[in-house]
Amino acid sequence: MILVCGIPSETPLRLVTAQLEALGAPYVLFNQREFAHSDLWFEVDQDAVRGELRLGDVTYRLEDFTAVYPRLMDDRALPELVELAPDSPLRVHCRSLHDALTRWMEIAPGLVINRCAPMATNSSKPYQAQLIREHGFLTPETLITNDPALVRNFRVRHGRVIYKSISAVRSIVQELSDDDEDRLERIRWCPTQFQAYVEGTNVRVHTIGDEVFATAIHSAATDYRYATRQAGKAADLREVELSDELAAQCVALARSLGLEFAGIDLKITEDDEVFCFEVNPCPAFSYYEGNTGQPISNAVARRLAMGARLN
Amino acid sequence: MIVVLCSASDAPALWAWGGLKQLGVRPLELVLAESLAQSSLWEHRVGRDGAHLKIVLPDRRVLCSTRIRGVLNRLVVPSQSVVNLASASDREYAQSELQAFYLSWLHGLPGTVLNRPTALGLCGSWLHRSEWMVRARDAGLRIPTYRQTSQDRPEDSFRSPVPEGALRQTLIAFDGAIFGGEQDTPLARACTRLAEKVRAEILGIDLYANAGGEWVFAGASACPDLSLGGQPLLERIAYQLEGANA
Repeated sequence: MILVCGIPSETPLRLVTAQLEALGAPYVLFNQREFAHSDLWFEVDQDAVRGELRLGDVTYRLEDFTAVYPRLMDDRALPELVELAPDSPLRVHCRSLHDALTRWMEIAPGLVINRCAPMATNSSKPYQAQLIREHGFLTPETLITNDPALVRNFRVRHGRVIYKSISAVRSIVQELSDDDEDRLERIRWCPTQFQAYVEGTNVRVHTIGDEVFATAIHSAATDYRYATRQAGKAADLREVELSDELAAQCVALARSLGLEFAGIDLKITEDDEVFCFEVNPCPAFSYYEGNTGQPISNAVARRLAMGARLN
Repeated sequence: MIVVLCSASDAPALWAWGGLKQLGVRPLELVLAESLAQSSLWEHRVGRDGAHLKIVLPDRRVLCSTRIRGVLNRLVVPSQSVVNLASASDREYAQSELQAFYLSWLHGLPGTVLNRPTALGLCGSWLHRSEWMVRARDAGLRIPTYRQTSQDRPEDSFRSPVPEGALRQTLIAFDGAIFGGEQDTPLARACTRLAEKVRAEILGIDLYANAGGEWVFAGASACPDLSLGGQPLLERIAYQLEGANA
């Protein structure tokens, strides 16, 4: 039995559940918005991890879930809670349910795509970049500083420079402009991340187990996810094939980070140098699947149906 | 240069710093989290040549990764003083940015770092009690039953599982050995395995005696009270840090 968690209408979740149905793989959907009618308990003892999940009138044994696909939104932002006071019993129940569910998923013996712990490397981009470098990828020259003079020198040296958050919060890439240089004094309050701009083709690589789906993205925007806003035109996405060596390198990178499913952002230069920008541990793959027809959701569903952990 | 990184209120780290000084570890610098937050220069680079760090502290001391050979790292969180300067709507963002920044430069430090940061903690992994129980059990320790329900508040999981009046002990696992208790026992070996499994160079393991006199796992910390390991632990830490300095 497979457990799928999140909002049923969210596109990646909808695509995966449709594929599970097509495969005839039995699954249970925990709809976060129905938290008021759900309960969960689990316990760890000397022998096992066990527990139960109640969804409405039906109770499931946690031990029967061989695989879990969580795409949980921040439960504190659920629409059902908007009008409720911070200490309202329903809000407290919602938080407690999600905490118990998340804690169980971290120690569940089955396959979880993905657990929180390996996802945490993405909470610090330069930290993850150091892990990525250890796997043989190039990473962009990066400077994090509170010194405007160092940033100006960095820009002189590298020409085009971008800036973005260090953490995963408010992560939008922007190019450093002459106007931005006028307000560089503000970084004295908090070290800020700058990166040399790398010319080349953006390639998003989704790895699911040993399977690899690569998509080339052509856009004039600095951050192609916001192409319409930044460049006035949507990005053009095409399926591409990676060399066996690069595909294997991507699979090895995802696996070393403990990720069953990953979205790896590459940039391949004219000289065929491969830069890796980051590994997204919770990829919203539907954007790529919708534009190219690549069967990513099918691969996720098949991996879930297969169960058993890889590592 | 050997560096002790800790907050001003971290008494065990200050004890270790004093002890390392007495043992003749030199050059030895004490760098407080509160002072780091007031640094006049931060320069952290990541690229083809690896990671590099330069910090100019308020007292003008310079921490540079080319000169650092070993670190006793006890930083749990970045000092909140900078975060508190942010507007209310930016505070969570500022906190995330600083945490992410500290994780990166700590990871990039050269030489021996005790403990190296992980994505789950600046001085080693901070795990939820349920996960510690599974890891401890898998390492061969006896554990109490841990139970969590959606009727419990998340903070309930921080309650100690130790029965009132029970005999307690904390063992420090470091460098394949146990400090503060007996060596070469099944319990010591299980504690060492636990530290290896969570990849903690230094790990404090809290235990209590059950009614049958058996030691039971209560919790673990990547930032334990080092003084419980006494002089032998201090000497082993000095040896490791000095080894990196050789």
